Amino acid sequence: MLSELLLLINTVLSNRGKKTIDSISVSTDLRKDLGFDSLDLAELTVRIEDKYDIDIFENGIVATIGEILQQFEK
Amino acid sequence: MNILVSGVSKGLGLSISEVLLKEGWTVYGISRSITSELQNLIHLYPDNFKHLSYDLSDTENVKTVLFKNWIGKDVVIHAFINNAAIAYDDIISNLNLECLTDMYKVNVFTPMNICKYIIRQFLLHKIKGSIIHVSSISAHTGYKGLSMYASTKGALEAFSKNTAREWGEVGIRSNCVVPGFMETEMSADLTSEQKNKIYQRTSLKKVVDKLSVAETIAFLLSEKAISITGQNIHVDSGVI
Repeated sequence: MLSELLLLINTVLSNRGKKTIDSISVSTDLRKDLGFDSLDLAELTVRIEDKYDIDIFENGIVATIGEILQQFEK
Repeated sequence: MNILVSGVSKGLGLSISEVLLKEGWTVYGISRSITSELQNLIHLYPDNFKHLSYDLSDTENVKTVLFKNWIGKDVVIHAFINNAAIAYDDIISNLNLECLTDMYKVNVFTPMNICKYIIRQFLLHKIKGSIIHVSSISAHTGYKGLSMYASTKGALEAFSKNTAREWGEVGIRSNCVVPGFMETEMSADLTSEQKNKIYQRTSLKKVVDKLSVAETIAFLLSEKAISITGQNIHVDSGVI
């Protein structure tokens, strides 16, 4: 699951002209650690929804990879 | 180009659809009802005109009905023209909250919700899409009895300006077209005396040509307008 998320995160980063990353963990913070801004988060939301049919922002704001994974359990 | 247009069954929406179809673009048109004029257009362009009957007072089901079941996530949509509107006209002291809420659902809340999903669709397919709201001159010049209707259009203009700012860096544009009074069903209840009074408040002393509004929208969608965003383009016979 983490590796699939990493692929999506790198798609967003490269689409937005930012440097891609090698790894993530549940504690990785999208804004603080990966430098995501609100538009990056929007694109990530769209790509996760496209792949898994889950809107990660439907129940509020998510900050970390762990919080994204929690949305999958709901 | 694939373009989502609301309110396609009559008036300006029908003219917009016709202009876009003539350009060779595909129209995803929504309206509550199917009129004979709309039926004719669907017959003329069986491949390029896709129609869905949907009542825009249903704000909740936009995602499921429009985007999941009808358009589908794999279809690339390039633009949304928010044309549909209802007019609840009365003086403010007669304000009926239910009528006002219904108008806000159709004119403001549902279009805003459509924008949420159209922007998501743009992002998914990396499209530098375009959003155009059909506003109204009543948002700029006061007319007795139109304050509540005008307020919905003012809301759209503010929403559009901020959409342009928020999404400009990914190439998404948002503009409003601001028509003056046209001969449509919406102004059908006005007497000819009232209409003449309105036309006297314009530079051209004339009713606004629907086709001129529709062609302006087509221009704003085109590559020619690539640097135009966050604007309100008046097509109003020069209201003074």
